[in-house]
Amino acid sequence: MPDARTVQPGDRTLAYITLAPSVALLLLLSAVPTITVLATAMQDVGLGSLSGPWVGLDNFVWALNYDAFWRALWNTFYWVFGSVAVEMVLGLGIALLLHQNFAMRGIARAILLAPYLIPTIVAVLVWRYMFHDIVGILNYFLMNLGLIERPLQWLGSTRWAMVSVIIVGVWKFFPFVVLALLGILQSIPQEQYEAARIDGASAFQQFWRITLPYILPVFILTALLRTIWTFHKFEIIYLLTGGGPLDVTTTLPILVYQKGFVDFELGRAAAIAILTFVILAALIAVYFMLMRRAESKQ
Amino acid sequence: MTVTADDNAPARAEPRRHRQTDDVHYLANRVMIYLLALTAVTVVGFPLFWMVISSFKPGSELYISPPTFLPNEWTLKNYRDLFVQTNFSVYFLNSLIVAASSTALSLVIGGLGAYSLSRFNFFGIGSFARVALLCYMLPEVLIVLPLYIYVIQLGLADTLVALIIANTAFTLPLALWFMRSYYNAIPMSLEESAMVDGCTRLGAMWRVTLPLAVPGLVSVGVFSFNHAWNEFLFALVFTSSESKKVLPLGLATWIGQDNIYSWGMLLAGAVLITLPVMAFYLLVQRKLVVGLSEGGAKGE
Repeated sequence: MPDARTVQPGDRTLAYITLAPSVALLLLLSAVPTITVLATAMQDVGLGSLSGPWVGLDNFVWALNYDAFWRALWNTFYWVFGSVAVEMVLGLGIALLLHQNFAMRGIARAILLAPYLIPTIVAVLVWRYMFHDIVGILNYFLMNLGLIERPLQWLGSTRWAMVSVIIVGVWKFFPFVVLALLGILQSIPQEQYEAARIDGASAFQQFWRITLPYILPVFILTALLRTIWTFHKFEIIYLLTGGGPLDVTTTLPILVYQKGFVDFELGRAAAIAILTFVILAALIAVYFMLMRRAESKQ
Repeated sequence: MTVTADDNAPARAEPRRHRQTDDVHYLANRVMIYLLALTAVTVVGFPLFWMVISSFKPGSELYISPPTFLPNEWTLKNYRDLFVQTNFSVYFLNSLIVAASSTALSLVIGGLGAYSLSRFNFFGIGSFARVALLCYMLPEVLIVLPLYIYVIQLGLADTLVALIIANTAFTLPLALWFMRSYYNAIPMSLEESAMVDGCTRLGAMWRVTLPLAVPGLVSVGVFSFNHAWNEFLFALVFTSSESKKVLPLGLATWIGQDNIYSWGMLLAGAVLITLPVMAFYLLVQRKLVVGLSEGGAKGE
């Protein structure tokens, strides 16, 4: 009698045939490029060429002594932690709100999740228009509310550029947190709340003692995933400020782009990209570890 | 854990209240919820509202302060300018070709491969699944450097083919990992009974499992399409001529000009780029699945 759980004759052939294209493509598009980028990072690639003489770790030494690298690293941390912190708090708040029953919840949900679905270029276009110092609606609002006296330069000022970029990033990506947390909120067993209510626990106590511990693993996993993605985000910053003014919004991915495709120093760009990835890899390792732990608990 | 984005998901049932103080408390609670919801929707929704409204304003109203909230005069001039002054229809077609091709490629290749990842466990197939997830997390900015070298060497610079292949580097791992967990959720007993009835494994997969996996394929398709539709870095690095530009790159070159007259046109473009994505989303909204432990949904 055939049994789908044991290996049938022909299964191996089927597995090879179905998996071969995937394996081949991933090798060509991920594994081989990773090796190439390592090799490139160890070459002195001249302007406009694709390879050059071997120089060992010189490019890495150069990067670690390069002021702009450290500034970009600091900018990256500012961008990542600023964005993720606000996204998580806002995402949790909105998820708790959408978890309540109210009329027209479906519409509210659709609007609140919409920024996540629209293309980045769209978010950039509309926010750049709103940030405009003279005709932008944002300055108009803030001046009418009396919060500012003169129009802010937003993306154009060294003081506010990163804050502005973070505002757009949060608006665009917080719905992911909402989606993730809404799912776990819906799976909390209701009996726990019933019991707490009978014991006279306040809404805040119920949140603190039941909701928060229950959603915490997913909350942490989501925060980490957002951190990883925000870390290597390129286009939203590039399209908003191009890394400027001066270099206050130049994060590591922007720096890699500038070195590689503006200055055409592929070797040095590769070295910075790899250093970026090393930091990222540590985060990814933590993510995998937490994920495995979460899976084994289920 | 798998979460469905479903409007009808059970919310907390409010127990019936009897005493009067409870009623007051309940009412205050309700009012608060509506106020919060209204504030959140207004703040988050405003940029989208502003984009749509402004795209119908004539130039004179786009550049005045204080701004007009609803246009005094509704016009389609911005949309006309977009098609006359820019190659918007070329960009749109290019985006469509790139997004549809890389989605199709990863659905066919990934959809098949994921079946074996889910059903078999010999020869290190399990660890290949993790490798796929890792590939998905490789930063674009790391991969773009070597891919640029290959693109130049293979003479694929400034072609849509380069973009299609490069996008697949990200949509394929997504399809593999996501569809694997989707197949995992389809009971093997279904295939077994088909095999008892005389189907081969291939037949059982084709007639039983694949049809059941269609909703999963739809979700992956939407995410892949969205990813490719959005993709900017590869387009920026690999393509340069007007006839090969995709939408984000095409419109981005117009921001660069930052001349005061192009805003209406750009906002009209923004509205038009958003439409297919929104239409897609509404179409599959109820089937959209976000798997967090699967590496999550990517829309960026």
